[in-house]
Amino acid sequence: MQRTTHFRTGAILFLLPALLLFAAYFIYPVGYVVVVSLMKWDGMSSPGFVGLRNYSALFHDEVFRISIRNNLIWACAEALIQVPLAIVVALLLARKPKGWKLLRTIYFFPHVISGIAITMMWGAIYNNERGLLNGFLRLVGLSGWEHNWLGGLGSAFPSVLVYGLLYIGYFMVIILADISSVSRSYYEAASIDGATRTQQDWHITLPLIKGTIATCVTLAMVNGLRQFEQVLLLTGGGPANSSSVLVLYLYKELQNFHYGTANALGTVLIVLGGLVILTVRRLFNAAKYDM
Amino acid sequence: MKKRTLLLTLPAILLVFSILLSACGENIKSGEASEIEIKFPSIWVAKDSKAASFAQIVKDFNEQNQGKIKVVVEEIPDYGAYKDKIRTNITTGTTPDIFSFDNPADGEFYYKSGNLADLTPYLDEQWKSTFLDHAFDNAAYDGKVYSIPFEFGVTPVLYNTKLFKQAGITGFPKTYTELFAAYDKLKAAGIAPATQMTGGDGWVSMLWYSQLVSAIGGPDVYKHGLDDPAFVQAAEVLKKLFDYTTGDAVGLDNAGGHFLNQQTAVLLNGPWFIGRIKKEGIDHLYDSVEVAPAPVYEGGKGQAGQYIGFTQASLAVGKQKDKKKEEAIVKFLKYLTSPDNVKKISLDSGSLFVIKYDVTKDDNVERLQTEMKKGMEAAPYIIPHFRASVSPAVGAEFPQALSGLVLGKYTPEQFVEQLKQADSK
Repeated sequence: MQRTTHFRTGAILFLLPALLLFAAYFIYPVGYVVVVSLMKWDGMSSPGFVGLRNYSALFHDEVFRISIRNNLIWACAEALIQVPLAIVVALLLARKPKGWKLLRTIYFFPHVISGIAITMMWGAIYNNERGLLNGFLRLVGLSGWEHNWLGGLGSAFPSVLVYGLLYIGYFMVIILADISSVSRSYYEAASIDGATRTQQDWHITLPLIKGTIATCVTLAMVNGLRQFEQVLLLTGGGPANSSSVLVLYLYKELQNFHYGTANALGTVLIVLGGLVILTVRRLFNAAKYDM
Repeated sequence: MKKRTLLLTLPAILLVFSILLSACGENIKSGEASEIEIKFPSIWVAKDSKAASFAQIVKDFNEQNQGKIKVVVEEIPDYGAYKDKIRTNITTGTTPDIFSFDNPADGEFYYKSGNLADLTPYLDEQWKSTFLDHAFDNAAYDGKVYSIPFEFGVTPVLYNTKLFKQAGITGFPKTYTELFAAYDKLKAAGIAPATQMTGGDGWVSMLWYSQLVSAIGGPDVYKHGLDDPAFVQAAEVLKKLFDYTTGDAVGLDNAGGHFLNQQTAVLLNGPWFIGRIKKEGIDHLYDSVEVAPAPVYEGGKGQAGQYIGFTQASLAVGKQKDKKKEEAIVKFLKYLTSPDNVKKISLDSGSLFVIKYDVTKDDNVERLQTEMKKGMEAAPYIIPHFRASVSPAVGAEFPQALSGLVLGKYTPEQFVEQLKQADSK
């Protein structure tokens, strides 16, 4: 009995620093964000309580609606395009074709480079007058398709979104690592039973790496929700706010001294993030796989 | 058990004592140090046209006050990052000892934070007399002076006479009708007439809008707010101006690139751009550039020769607990804003200031700067630009609303409505 009490006290003492840090650096800031979201505050003078007025204003705001839509498209595109692409490439590389190590490095390489540098490079590619994309279109006789990609109402957001989806290396490496941990005996048994490689991938590999896929989908969707620098650097949310996303909108509201609205946006982001995690867990029945 | 507890407690007690002792040590150290350190996060560094002369002034001051006061410059060349840092510092009560800000509309928010030092007691007649009249109009809040105006900006038209000649145009047009006729000629000669932009803060196009708004609505246009019909009319003309610009204007965030590469013939910008024309412009560009006031809008309330002018940089001081440090900061401010030092920076960079200084025949005064100064002195009135005259939210919405206007998403009326909505949050 005494031993159990000692154990409990010890456990609490050991956990206390971590709990204190968690409270100071997570619970308190999140709570503060929620509280300020109920205030009208310019960040400089005293705040005033306005209840849910900031939220109500947001839901009537066109830029907020555009930002939410763009974020959800981004999150879904990452989950439904980027992660499946990473799975396909990982499955192919797991077969260890000739030069697979080099290919793995090439796919992962963009993640070693600064995201800002990559974004600037794509800014140059999309440039209306001197960009590679329009130059290529001219070269292949499609000059009619030339376009101000980052300055068009219908093209700015897709342009910002699409190129990021090509960088699959991060998820590919995670999935590849999990595939390599699957026991070879399953494949040997399946081969004896006459299963093709595709059948093995479909019926053995994919079910066994379901937990990792769920993790990748969660990370991809959360990444889609917190996009910022790509949009800021390429379009600044324009033209006419058509490529705006929630974090950029939050940043602009802070710059406009609308701290209450900015914190309401922060709260919406936290709730959205939580919902995404719960939804993905439910969809993948992830509890089984220790997510 | 007791022994074990003691063994566990002892290191903790020692740790606490060592922290306390080191803190005392710091106190002793700081008590011993008589040199006052002033932290000055600055944007006048790296490639900034004022960087060299500013660094020299700080160096000279530190040498003159060796062992007593030391100004430490924190270099932040990115203006956006600088602005973010200053705002965060003020909001969290960690305001830097000295900092600068550009937009008077932001200044008002800073003043009411309660985190800036009141400079009224230091602003004696002698110091004040070195400034231009009305220089302190935007520096006070609640009857107290919270910032020292420093750099002054005017943004007349800069035009490329070589490209104008190629298109058969002599002199800069006096009215908007003449301007569009000249632009047609430039276009026919295969030259993109003027730089316009909606990227970033839409600086150049915001200046055109400022010129148009006051040319149509007159010098008192901002007194009526965004309800004045001049804002809609100006938007109509601004939209037309986008027919005479480069193909990348929507989304463009480089204000000067096309003009520096001689790809556009006209640019609105200020004296700080002169240094860039010299350093970054194509060969002999500087020799081709002339200065002119923006055209008159026929039937408008504005007058010929109007100038857009505004305090481009103000200096403010973070609230200090130590009176001696506050006095040391003011000493540096007086040094930095002294006519001799301001003259040095001005002649070196081409920038204009709200501090008066004498120019002699021997001084190498910048040609374009002189032209701008002459134009400013001859102007019937000087009016601030649009962004300095509205709330920060309206200024931030401007490039978004403008791109919507140019791409046909908004009518001129809807463009103004977008600006009003930004203000209502």
